[in-house]
Amino acid sequence: MLGNEAIVRGCLEAGVSYVSQYPGTPTSDIGEYFHQIIRGNPEIGEYLVHQWAVNEAVATSSCAGAAWTGCRSFNPMKHVGLNVASDALSVIALNGPNPGGMVIGVGSDPGSLGSHQEQNERFYAWMLHLPTIEPHTPQECKDWTKLAFELSEEYDLVINLRTSTRSAHSRGYVNLDPLKKGKIKGEFIRNIPKFNSLPPHAINNHIRLYERIERLRSAIPGLNLNKVYDGDNKIGIITSGMPFGYTMEALNQLNLYNVPILKLGMIYPLDYKEITDFIQNLDKVIVIEELEPFLETKVSEIAHFNRFSLEVLGSKYFPKSNEFSTGLVADKLATIYGVSPKKTMQDAIKSFNSYKKIIPSRFPTFCAGCPERATLYSILKATNQLENTVVCGDIGCYVMSFFPPQQCSDLIICMSGGLSAAIGMSTKTEQKVLAMIGDSTFFHTGLSPLAEAIGYDSNVLLIIFDNSWTAMTGHQNDVLRYLINKDFSIEKVCRALGVPWLRVEDSYDPKKLTRTIKEALDTKGLKVIIVKRECGLQAHRHRMDQIRYIRNQGRKVQEVIYQITGCQMCHECSRILSCPAIRRVEVEGYETMQIDEDRCIKCGVCYHICPNGAIHKSTINLLEEEVPFRNV
Amino acid sequence: MFRETDIINVVIAGTAGQGVITLKRLIEFASQKAGIERNFGSEMHGLAQREGAISSHIRYQKKVFENERKNLQSPLICYGDADLYICLEPVESLRRGIFASNKTSFVLNNRTIPGVMITADLEVYPPLNKILEILNSYSKKVYSINATELCLKQFQTNQQLNIFMLGFALPTGKLPFIEIEHYEEVIKEWLRDADLNIKALRLGYQEGKKIILS
Repeated sequence: MLGNEAIVRGCLEAGVSYVSQYPGTPTSDIGEYFHQIIRGNPEIGEYLVHQWAVNEAVATSSCAGAAWTGCRSFNPMKHVGLNVASDALSVIALNGPNPGGMVIGVGSDPGSLGSHQEQNERFYAWMLHLPTIEPHTPQECKDWTKLAFELSEEYDLVINLRTSTRSAHSRGYVNLDPLKKGKIKGEFIRNIPKFNSLPPHAINNHIRLYERIERLRSAIPGLNLNKVYDGDNKIGIITSGMPFGYTMEALNQLNLYNVPILKLGMIYPLDYKEITDFIQNLDKVIVIEELEPFLETKVSEIAHFNRFSLEVLGSKYFPKSNEFSTGLVADKLATIYGVSPKKTMQDAIKSFNSYKKIIPSRFPTFCAGCPERATLYSILKATNQLENTVVCGDIGCYVMSFFPPQQCSDLIICMSGGLSAAIGMSTKTEQKVLAMIGDSTFFHTGLSPLAEAIGYDSNVLLIIFDNSWTAMTGHQNDVLRYLINKDFSIEKVCRALGVPWLRVEDSYDPKKLTRTIKEALDTKGLKVIIVKRECGLQAHRHRMDQIRYIRNQGRKVQEVIYQITGCQMCHECSRILSCPAIRRVEVEGYETMQIDEDRCIKCGVCYHICPNGAIHKSTINLLEEEVPFRNV
Repeated sequence: MFRETDIINVVIAGTAGQGVITLKRLIEFASQKAGIERNFGSEMHGLAQREGAISSHIRYQKKVFENERKNLQSPLICYGDADLYICLEPVESLRRGIFASNKTSFVLNNRTIPGVMITADLEVYPPLNKILEILNSYSKKVYSINATELCLKQFQTNQQLNIFMLGFALPTGKLPFIEIEHYEEVIKEWLRDADLNIKALRLGYQEGKKIILS
């Protein structure tokens, strides 16, 4: 099982009956597993509810609501999701999830493998008093999820099961236990002091929170979450989560088998006595943890409190950013223990450095036929390659806009941070200010800055990518899908809010879109262009299914083919549109562009934009049934 | 040549849509069928549809030591520790080159897939012989084949490329303790077009034997 699959299994073994989340790497697939399970097992679907929330704060409060009826609820989120959820969580943690149990599953992302930023959200554990458990293997992911629910119910605390992109997406064997049926219905029982954290109850709940944490702290020795590996070396190691794995193998690489190791399963609260006992006879202790020193700070404090003379090492040798690896840990430990690293490892680093310069980049980019790429093309054309223009980017697939060759995004903050930045920026610059937002992000937190921009009539052009999917995280069957089925539209929302200048365009008509953007940028005040076109990937899948269906019935379909002849190599399609279905090849000694039939989804954008008319459209089976992209 | 307690390290590298993760899981599921005691590997999610560079690590240990300290504990391979490197695209073999050393066997699909920066003529794709030269400087066990073309010819699609390359890698002996039957069993249970995939596996195996054992 993958770490994330194991967490889902742990929830099912714990009798969880409510899950709510907003998708985000590395926790999106948790929701997908829940959906698969509910679909395939009606008996589980009877009691288990999974909802894709519009944002993390909503998800967290929803989970609290379910827990307060006496159920067990689970709330996965990515590390930056915790920033959004923290407002709600600060109160929920104070009140406590009882009579039910509530666990949040925060997926951190050291190395920013699937996120727009890197942060050490472990510090929320201190601020909000979130007991935090860090599993290392899929087995621990499963077992400790289950344990987390027991602790949550017993101590009236919200427990954080913290993974990382690496542990969430690592696979190993998991021994299973039986499933437990969750509650179908609970009941909310009125308790004004507990659920109304206002004065005077706020202070009492705060005092009660300290007491609950202390009760949990004293229970740590019996939980079997922490483990000591004995050894007679005078330099010991304290570590947790995935860095534990790197540490064990690094010591193996260095043939150091006598190093005492304290592996912490729970990183907040800490059992001070356990740490005191571990460090008291050591000369040095190394704390191995990714990102900012969290455990190191506490271990230093414990050493200082006990007036131990030992040295606490960690961030002095280890980087405070990026993901660790066995190689990195082995390299640092070799220095600290004064041994030489394995020659294979040193040679590997040297050889790699000798040629890494020649490796061409392969950034993630928009898929072939992506409507967002086509919109960026129109923005670039309408602004003469962003002359005197600032593009405030945002989170979604279009977060990739800043990558070359298009480089059509000047800044990124957070979900809906682009429009917010544009509001302020437009008051202080004569440059044209353009902001982008996707449909899912629009509902996440985009409505508020839009209301403000309308109120102040900010001189901003907002482009809303309405592709009808939360595409970046993998097209979850989220609340957006439900809204679409309910005849809900962003256009209606904009009209109801009173957007003064509003157009709805199609990015597969790049010339018209370009004209509209030009017109908008020449107009003062707030302008909104909704670019409506379904995510190319989904539209193509749907269309291919339809074509297969028609052919299976023995009927023919009309086919369109785009081909390039007489290419002038002007690079309009490769540098400004940069569709990955277009390739540069050599034919009979001449360079030309070519359309990769396997990748092309027949969106036709390149055909419309080629300045030399070198891209040709031909239709086969002209009289047969036409299968266009669906309108959404 | 491998002891049962050895940790086996495999890197798979490729690009979007080549089936890196599917191949990784297939090997892991087969290792379970083969009774491998410990299995811990890492995969990369989220870039599969977006033309990005994709790699995965497979690690397994047929028998674990009693001493936990000597066992497989990390889903990531240490620098220079790869026993087998399955490269589905040439330049991707260099991108994860830090895991290679003189003990590494390379199996390479030599059909190039240039990224958008190459198409836009803003970056240079290194010549194939330069790539092979670099790989050959690691070890003599570099086996290259145009698997994409072969698959297209045989199956009229390159969907089976990853499975073909697995078959091609088997004669290197760098996936010990797992038999071809174990892969076939998993393919039957788990993949669509099982017959076609088994055909691709066997074809790859035949081609591999021709090149690797000669």
